[in-house]
Amino acid sequence: MAVIGRVTESSIHTRVLQNLQRNIAKGEKIQEQLSSGKMINRPSDSPTGTVTSMQLRGETRAAQQYSRNADDGLGWLNTAQDTLSSASTLVNRARDLTVQGLSSGTNDAQSNEALASELDQIKSSLIGYANTKYLDRPVFGGTTTGDLAYDATGTFVGNAGQTTRTVGAGAKIRVDANGPEAFGSGSTQLFTVLQNISDNIRSGDTDALADNLNKLDAASNQMKTTLSNVGARYNRIEGMKQSAQDRLLSVTSQLSDVEDVDLPKTIMDMQLQQTSYQAALAASAKVIQPSLIDFLR
Amino acid sequence: MGSSFGGINTALTSLYAQRRALDVTGQNIANANTDGYTRQRVDMQSQVGSISPALYAKTDGLGTGVAVSDVQRLRDEYAENRGRTEHANSAYLTNQTQTYAAIEDTFAEPSDTALQAQLHDMWGTWNDVANNPQLTATRSTLLQQSSTVADGLNSAHDQLASQFSQTHTQLAAYAEEVNTAAATIAQLNGSIVKATASGVTVNELEDQRDAAVMHLSELTGATASLRKNGAMDVFVGNSTLVSEFTTRNLEVSGAVRLDDQATDPMTLRWADTKTSVGAGGTMGAMADTMTTIIPGLSDALDSVAKNLADSVNAKHAAGYGVDGSTGNDFFVSGVPGQPITAGTIKVGITDPDQVAVSSTDPTVIVPPATAGSLDNTVADALADIGDSATGPDREYQAMIGQLGVASQAVSRRNDIQTNVTQQVDAAREAQSGVNLDEEMTNLLTYQRGYEAASRVLTTIDSMLDQLINRTGLVGR
Repeated sequence: MAVIGRVTESSIHTRVLQNLQRNIAKGEKIQEQLSSGKMINRPSDSPTGTVTSMQLRGETRAAQQYSRNADDGLGWLNTAQDTLSSASTLVNRARDLTVQGLSSGTNDAQSNEALASELDQIKSSLIGYANTKYLDRPVFGGTTTGDLAYDATGTFVGNAGQTTRTVGAGAKIRVDANGPEAFGSGSTQLFTVLQNISDNIRSGDTDALADNLNKLDAASNQMKTTLSNVGARYNRIEGMKQSAQDRLLSVTSQLSDVEDVDLPKTIMDMQLQQTSYQAALAASAKVIQPSLIDFLR
Repeated sequence: MGSSFGGINTALTSLYAQRRALDVTGQNIANANTDGYTRQRVDMQSQVGSISPALYAKTDGLGTGVAVSDVQRLRDEYAENRGRTEHANSAYLTNQTQTYAAIEDTFAEPSDTALQAQLHDMWGTWNDVANNPQLTATRSTLLQQSSTVADGLNSAHDQLASQFSQTHTQLAAYAEEVNTAAATIAQLNGSIVKATASGVTVNELEDQRDAAVMHLSELTGATASLRKNGAMDVFVGNSTLVSEFTTRNLEVSGAVRLDDQATDPMTLRWADTKTSVGAGGTMGAMADTMTTIIPGLSDALDSVAKNLADSVNAKHAAGYGVDGSTGNDFFVSGVPGQPITAGTIKVGITDPDQVAVSSTDPTVIVPPATAGSLDNTVADALADIGDSATGPDREYQAMIGQLGVASQAVSRRNDIQTNVTQQVDAAREAQSGVNLDEEMTNLLTYQRGYEAASRVLTTIDSMLDQLINRTGLVGR
């Protein structure tokens, strides 16, 4: 009964249909890739690619976040830097006035009063600088929830808390400058020194004035040290921001490598698939047609 | 010496036999495209006279014509059994592939909007909160973003649960279908056994029965064996489903909802003995989906949710909100008294001021400071969870990776199995299908046979005419 190699119309039909199906299924996959522009449309398309893609998306997000954090940090440091350099100019003026008060010990009370009141003005301007805010938070106030870093008398009312920004994986950089660091503490605290100088000039106490001039220089140096420190941190964050942006670019191109279709290759694949599909169709049309019936008359 | 008219009978048997053969060929051609039809062939056998001689009745050794001894159904039972096995495997893998595709659609990774992206957005918002802990707006955004993540987990869980319920409904419907098909087979067995016993050919009924058994194989991975009397026994997982004329029933018991699966597992079992059925095919795949795949993924998702809640809560509870509140859980279970799972997780904080951002209590004022201290260390630490090697993100990625591997493996096996099944089908079709060329040739042969038999009849007729009408007329 077994006829080896027996072929029937329906077995040809089954095989031809199966081959055409396989061909068209391949076409469907290529069409899906072309129309979505993605090689990976579901995890099973490439499990490792999917996980890589998810991680790269995470890295993209992180790089964007680092860049945003860096912008915020630069805002803080910029504020601190501008404030400190303006304050520095004012401190220089205060030193001039102090030297003037020291050298002209014979000044009359009226001109001493003028010097002293200008120093008082400078002091309150400096307190104003020290209370500079960035996004509603005093830059020199540590982590205080209050509005002020220094009260009207020049007393520090903030705290020693530090504000940091994450600008890279594990890279947390401080973006504030604490009041006591910028404006000194104890006997060389800028506002105390200025108050003392103004008092000395009013009272004509030149010895104390000379002593306080040294203290003013110490406070001024302290401020300049902090200023250069802030500048250094500003540079560091800018560098980190640049590297975050570079990283963003390279991660985006990696993500594209993993996920996106290789257009020329995919289009070539599609052409090949279409050609072979048409050939298969033409061939099957020819194979099935003739039968013995056509020749029996 | 045989009868003078014996030859007429011989020609007549040939006419009958050739006509029967032409009828069968016609039936084959008519069913050339009928699904499941098995080609038939007429077996002819030459007839001999009485071979046990008696005194007045003995044969001259010549045959007395031809008879149709059988109309054979040309089907190879071994190829059929192979076909049943391969169809069962194919049905199993096709169903698993569809299941995995549906689950992959549930998670919709990788994309810019799915759960992973929602988690990324949430960690980004924690970072924004860390940048500006004093702003209520960013904290409100954080609460919304975190709710989106919780909702994403809830909806992934709900979709898995609804897939479970749908599969259950479908499985129960298939169990009914199997019971009906089994009854049909038992009934066909009855008809076939009776007909075979009385010598009638029932090829078309056997085709029907083979189709029904194939359907059962696809549904349950059933195997079959023929009895000598023509009845067919059907087995599912080594237990009898149809034994000659009697059937057993399948039923689905246990969990209807995914949430009950852990306490009262779903089982596909025999209605009479209540023992579980080792089914293959579509129903076997569905049973595996309900007992292994969906619960496995659901557990993995629960673990991600728990990891998220635990890692965030541990840091959050240690921190202080803007209003000085502390010890609060950020993520809680939406159903009181139940643990945090993907289905129950929700954001427990409603007031943006209670979002813990600081390691120090901002309401405590330490003189000479005139206001409290609000740092961002807690919010910053929370934002870092996103990058943690043991954090929920990594766990979720691993889960999606495993899902992808499992799905890919099943889909590849399905591709291979589809090929094998189609090859086996083509082989079966080659064995039992109708070849029109062959039928045309048979048509010719039998037609010629019929013509020749008619000619024999005519010859004998003219011979007898010679004898009866023209013999002994000498001198007339």
